Amino acid sequence: MLRIALRLLLDQPSKSLGTLLGVVVSAFLMAQQLSTFLGILGRVAAFVDTAGADVWIASPTTVDTDITESVPLRYQAVAMSTDGVAWASPLVQGMSRATRPDGVGELVKVVGVEGPRYLGLPASVVGNLSRPGSVLISAADRPLYGDPVPGERLEVGDRTMIVSGFFSEVDPHGNYSYVFANVDDVRGVLALAEDRATFIVVRVRTGVDAEEVAEALRVRLPDAKVFTRPELRTAVIGHFMARTPVGVVFGMGALVAALVGSLVVGVTMFSSVVDSTRDFATLIAVGATQRQLIGLLFSQALLFFAVGSSLGLSIFVLVKLHATSAPMLAPWWLFVGVAASSLVSCLLASVVAVRRVLAIDPAIVFKG
Amino acid sequence: MGDQARTYLEPVLEGRNVGRVYGEGDLAVRVLHPASFAVGAGEVIVISGPSGSGKTTLLSILGLVLSPTEGEVWVGGRRATGLPRDELSKIRLSALGFVFQQFNLLSGLSALENVALPLSLAGATAVSARERAQSALERLGLAAHAHKKPRQLSGGQQQRIAIARAIVGDPLVVLCDEPTASLDAASGDQVLDLLRESVSGEQRGAVIVTHDERVLRIADRVVRVSDGRFDS
Repeated sequence: MLRIALRLLLDQPSKSLGTLLGVVVSAFLMAQQLSTFLGILGRVAAFVDTAGADVWIASPTTVDTDITESVPLRYQAVAMSTDGVAWASPLVQGMSRATRPDGVGELVKVVGVEGPRYLGLPASVVGNLSRPGSVLISAADRPLYGDPVPGERLEVGDRTMIVSGFFSEVDPHGNYSYVFANVDDVRGVLALAEDRATFIVVRVRTGVDAEEVAEALRVRLPDAKVFTRPELRTAVIGHFMARTPVGVVFGMGALVAALVGSLVVGVTMFSSVVDSTRDFATLIAVGATQRQLIGLLFSQALLFFAVGSSLGLSIFVLVKLHATSAPMLAPWWLFVGVAASSLVSCLLASVVAVRRVLAIDPAIVFKG
Repeated sequence: MGDQARTYLEPVLEGRNVGRVYGEGDLAVRVLHPASFAVGAGEVIVISGPSGSGKTTLLSILGLVLSPTEGEVWVGGRRATGLPRDELSKIRLSALGFVFQQFNLLSGLSALENVALPLSLAGATAVSARERAQSALERLGLAAHAHKKPRQLSGGQQQRIAIARAIVGDPLVVLCDEPTASLDAASGDQVLDLLRESVSGEQRGAVIVTHDERVLRIADRVVRVSDGRFDS
């Protein structure tokens, strides 16, 4: 039946090509939309994901890593004396401006981390913050600042700092980029009191459950808000989703792609069946059962799915490989999800054609 | 006309008081008055009549693609009227072969694949279906055209392919609707000889609906139909 299905498709090449194109575009768009959405979420959470902290101690009004107030530095000592804690460090952050060579002040999030452990700094750093006044900038932002090399100056706020290296993995998802510096320098830039920090970031001992340490800290610091890394990640993404239309935009994009694919397959398969009414009537007259006819149309839908989604996803992979700066993440389950969605679209679409075929009067074969 | 003295075995196809009315109430139109009709093994029956006389309706009923509003159709001694749709499909597949005026070959399939179609639908393996279809084509002298698409063949060749498709599954009866109407005289004669041969040789029955007088030469029995009434 699969062979007959294929031959009937090949007999209408332009129509089959149109259907195939619909599936290809649909699979590609679904993958691209979802991948970009995941990429943006990845960027939103990258600061938390790459900081290396297991527990974050924040002010009670904290909503996410951007909407927060400062906490007393003494929380660091409380954390250090809590069972299961390997070490705790202050992390200071706030918005400022870094001056580009053309004099324009670029909005930056200045993050201050404390040596010698520099908890909060991405692991991907090339360079260091060992000297006061040094600053690390994102490798992706180098062109923005005139492609500086280590040792060159960069104005951050009202301070002149020295570029000492570059990091990756923490790319901007909004209208600001990240710079990392020593905690004391950042306090200066942000005019934050010496006994305050934005977060106290905590690393737990190996083998210790971060959730248990967080619970102990909640008991010891009732005036603070304590997050495990997954909790803060969820809060950051949740706030981002609630306050921006990104989820709706990309969700709708993926849904529309699936619907368009389904519609194209449905319309063209229906149209093919209408054009081939006499062929199907002949099949029925000769003795094809309803099950065989349904099998034939489902086989056609499966062929469209197999070839179309494979091509669509292959094109997506090629685009992703070439668009390295685009925020796209493609875990294995994205491919499975898009393929499953394409399969469902194609099968659902073929139901329209099946209904049409089952309504064909085989007696028309006797009409000249 | 064939040999009128020939005797036939049990009917392979019967219509018992079959009739057909289209529409209901005041709009009802009778296109076929109830009549009984039997086809024996090895017998060629020609149903002749003008256009609109009801002969195609009768063929559709006998071919189990149209239900009679009265009477019953029996195929190979089994009552077919009233059976579910898929059961009728199975009977058509196993016991009936069809030859149409417009050939109705599937344009996407080769001649060989068209002939193998009933076998594939009956569940034969691809290899077996192809072998039997090839053998049928060879018997009909069409082996050279096995891999051609219908559009690459002449009308006569297409109708011979259609006959091969109709008989490849070894049916009890072949039902033909105006088999010569789309053919020139020479091709028509060739097709008629082939039909006669395929019936006599295999002891199957045939019903041929036509208004072409040339067809009468292969008939064992001629049934005239006029205004939905039989006159045999």
